[in-house]
Amino acid sequence: MNGNARRRRLTPARIGIYAFLLTAALFFLLPLYIMLVTSFKTMDEIRLGNIFALPVSVTLEPWTTAWSQACTGVNCNGIRGGFWNSVLIAIPSTVLPILLGALNGYALSFWKPRGANVLFAILMMGAFIPVQVMMYPLVRILATLGLFSSLPGIVTVHIIFSMPVMTLLFRNYYLSIPQELFKAARIDGGGFWRIFAQLMLPMSTPMIIVAAIMQVTGVWNDYILGLVFAGRDNLPMTVQLNNVINTTTGERLYNVNMAATILTSMVPLAIYFFSGRWFVRGIAAGAVKG
Amino acid sequence: MCRWKKYKRTLLQPSRIETALRTVMTLKPKQLFRQLVSWAALLPLASTVLVAYLGTVLWSLNISFTNSRTFPSDQYVGWAQYQRLFDNDRWLLSLQNLALYGVLFIAACMVLGFLLAVFIDQKVMAEGALRTVFLYPYAMSFVATGLVWQWLLNPGNGIQQAVRQMGYPDFTFDWIIDQDMVIYTIVIATVWQASGLVMALLLAGLRGIDEEIWKAARIDGIPTWRVYVSIVLPMLGPTIATVFVLLFTAVVKVFDSVVSMTQGGPGTASEVPAKFIMDHLFGRANIALASAGSMVLLLTVLALVAPFLYARSRARRREEQA
Amino acid sequence: MKLKLLTLALSTGFAALAHAAGPKAEVIHWWTSGGESAAVKTFSDAYNAAGGVWVDTAISIGDQARSVAVNRIIGGNPPTAAQFNTSKQFLDLVEQGMLNNVDDVALRDGWDKFLPEPVLNVVRVKGHFYAAPVNIHMPTWFWYSKAAFKKAGIAAEPRTMDELFAVLDKLKAAGLIPLAHGGQPWQESIVFTAVLANLGGADLYLKVLRDRDAKAIQGDAFKNVLLTFKRLQAYVDKAAPGRNWNDATALLITGKAGVQIMGDWTKGEFAQAKQLPGRDYGCIAGFGPKSPYIIQGDVFVFPKTTNAEAIKAQKMMAGLMLAPTTQVEFSIRKGSIPVRTDVDVSRMDICAQQGLAIMKDKSRQLGNGEVYLNPDQNGSLSDILTAYWNKNVPVEKVQKDIASALKN
Repeated sequence: MNGNARRRRLTPARIGIYAFLLTAALFFLLPLYIMLVTSFKTMDEIRLGNIFALPVSVTLEPWTTAWSQACTGVNCNGIRGGFWNSVLIAIPSTVLPILLGALNGYALSFWKPRGANVLFAILMMGAFIPVQVMMYPLVRILATLGLFSSLPGIVTVHIIFSMPVMTLLFRNYYLSIPQELFKAARIDGGGFWRIFAQLMLPMSTPMIIVAAIMQVTGVWNDYILGLVFAGRDNLPMTVQLNNVINTTTGERLYNVNMAATILTSMVPLAIYFFSGRWFVRGIAAGAVKG
Repeated sequence: MCRWKKYKRTLLQPSRIETALRTVMTLKPKQLFRQLVSWAALLPLASTVLVAYLGTVLWSLNISFTNSRTFPSDQYVGWAQYQRLFDNDRWLLSLQNLALYGVLFIAACMVLGFLLAVFIDQKVMAEGALRTVFLYPYAMSFVATGLVWQWLLNPGNGIQQAVRQMGYPDFTFDWIIDQDMVIYTIVIATVWQASGLVMALLLAGLRGIDEEIWKAARIDGIPTWRVYVSIVLPMLGPTIATVFVLLFTAVVKVFDSVVSMTQGGPGTASEVPAKFIMDHLFGRANIALASAGSMVLLLTVLALVAPFLYARSRARRREEQA
Repeated sequence: MKLKLLTLALSTGFAALAHAAGPKAEVIHWWTSGGESAAVKTFSDAYNAAGGVWVDTAISIGDQARSVAVNRIIGGNPPTAAQFNTSKQFLDLVEQGMLNNVDDVALRDGWDKFLPEPVLNVVRVKGHFYAAPVNIHMPTWFWYSKAAFKKAGIAAEPRTMDELFAVLDKLKAAGLIPLAHGGQPWQESIVFTAVLANLGGADLYLKVLRDRDAKAIQGDAFKNVLLTFKRLQAYVDKAAPGRNWNDATALLITGKAGVQIMGDWTKGEFAQAKQLPGRDYGCIAGFGPKSPYIIQGDVFVFPKTTNAEAIKAQKMMAGLMLAPTTQVEFSIRKGSIPVRTDVDVSRMDICAQQGLAIMKDKSRQLGNGEVYLNPDQNGSLSDILTAYWNKNVPVEKVQKDIASALKN
């Protein structure tokens, strides 16, 4: 690729592009600015109501409080308690749904077994049902299976709820891969699993990244499913986060809330940032040619 | 006369089940084995769909005909819950709001996400940083960011106040307290949160397009925008379809943003179906009414999507026959 | 390696000790803020001191905590105790036989002798005691900022509804926000309850909310209550919709607003800002010597279990939570008042002392809407009220809607 070698002239088009991107960036960053600024103020300052003003007396206390001292019930240990639980829930709940989604998408778009499209249609309908509506039956089903209030239980629930989106992502992605490639692999003697593992999965890297982004965010920020199905010993970080932020008639410490939210979102953010290197052009193109 | 001919033709065509059976029976053992293997691989999908999704929908449907409160009861009351639903101003308003919100949200996200993806794809500097800037809203819990948006849009100490202090004393931006305009504020905040993901998906799709196409278009002297409209957009078809479905599901389930920004207010002006259902599931201890609501919601989605799917499957069948 | 073995030995030892400790009790509740945490700690400390082991499962927001409790009961993994409100929320659980009763403790400690009648009628269902009430909150206090009153030249507290309007007019004239309010349905319900109680009086209040008498609802007295309720809306600032209740209190704290109608948990917000009752702010329980004291509160229910340890834990807890000393310690930190009046109130703040004094008069004890109405009816009422507050609905239509919403 000789794009880097060629010097980019500052045409009006380039200026327009940067102008648009910068304006958009300002719109996107505005709430973050408010969150950061609020998280470094004292409550007295916040009560005055000037949300745009920079803190008069910068304080790090909201951050330390959020992490290790905020009250979340009888215990006042901040949000750090659930961190490892969130990790333990997030890893299988990301890897397994992605694998299953890729498998489903692969089978649906290349092998097209009879009647599978009906299943897919029902699955997509299921994506429109609010989670809470399915709560009661799922509780009964998991209780019968002996999985209620356990780590395998919450992972199963995450798999169930993410299946529509994951399957959709990969099915549509595979639809854009030419059938000739698949037929060529079949002729070369590849079976169902071989073609999946050695050809399709490696080609799906951009979509795996996107699916990982979506799934990690969804699972990491999930509250209601973890609350009901994970069991007391596996409660994710979001439960503590919500306990810090939400209260019915207790006092609200906005600075701590903002700090806690930013801290909790660090993990998905880190994943977004480091996933950058896979958004590289030419992976699929290379496979098609070669 | 024509109608009878068409009817006769469909009558004489073998039924779908017959065709399926015949296909299976005439498959060579190897082919049959292959079909079985792919079905075996789809077992998790099948069991999830049948047990978790289909089962739940049927259960919900059943409950919606009873007078269940906190727990399922087996006292059937016919259509009473549905009658109550459509007598309820809050529910009817929520459906209206959903329609308006849905159109605006999907359109704005698609356009903004597409523009962001295209512009970022132009080998700009600091691409990684820009991508993170557009994606970070998606990473944050809406419970806190919703509150920030409420502050921003509040006429007392938000954007209106800030612009006025900058020297424009007549500037008004108080949509969030206006009964008719409040739904637009939800659009703004949720577009802020979701466009980054749309951008990421479309960028993944764009990055999958062969470099050769760009080279060829440049050689042929086709202007860039033409390439995008006539070549790239069609190639992105499946990705755009994915994005559309994702956005549509987000629209139907919109809840967090409304709860943290306006609590459905002022009054009930920004009520949405998911919030109505949730309130009745938990707060009001009326799972029968909530189930009726979700059934109506599901049916509305089906009604909207079904003609589109039918047209697509007919087009595909015509393609296969040709 | 030796260190590892040592830690292993120590932890096993501790585990054994812990196992030998008293009955374990897992408690689901929604007290998650700083002040609430200090309050619930009095319960957990008392329980642990009596030899038990308190396992805390706090879940923010009442609706969610109750939903998790119900789901856990259905899923076969019930907590030892779960928090509900003094209301009809747990009646369905009783009906389905999913709760243990604590009759032994109630009879032993004589609950029927000191519990206020509205509370007693909630926790005693069909002759059995299914819930342990732990506090009484009053949602319709009138708070005012002394600084704002001074600025508006208001010398005395209002003692009638008319005087309240006069005060609000003076505040408006002084350029302050007369009534600090957060535009959320539950806050509008509080304002309505305050007007119904203070203007309508105890009789009308009970006829409408407890007896659901259609004639009273459609009558002129109630119409007057509704019109006065709507009249208060004119004294609220434009940015009120959606505002959290503590942001409204912040307006009082910073002297920008004069009056707020809110529950006694507001004291916590003032305390955070280091403001004291009597010095920086005032509290008015109601207008007139016979003004009703509205009762709402929290209770703990005990999910059904046959496990002897768990039953022991439940009974221990029920007894401890209603003990006089625990009641006072809890209420001081929570901002509520104890469920019993035979306690030492000297350490409570002046507003709480006022409240307890009023509670001694049985005729002034009225329950909040949720004490008399089931959650569905209460919710429908709230919908109608918030629509009336925010839009121009003819008052006759509001009366009709309320009558039909409460009919069933």
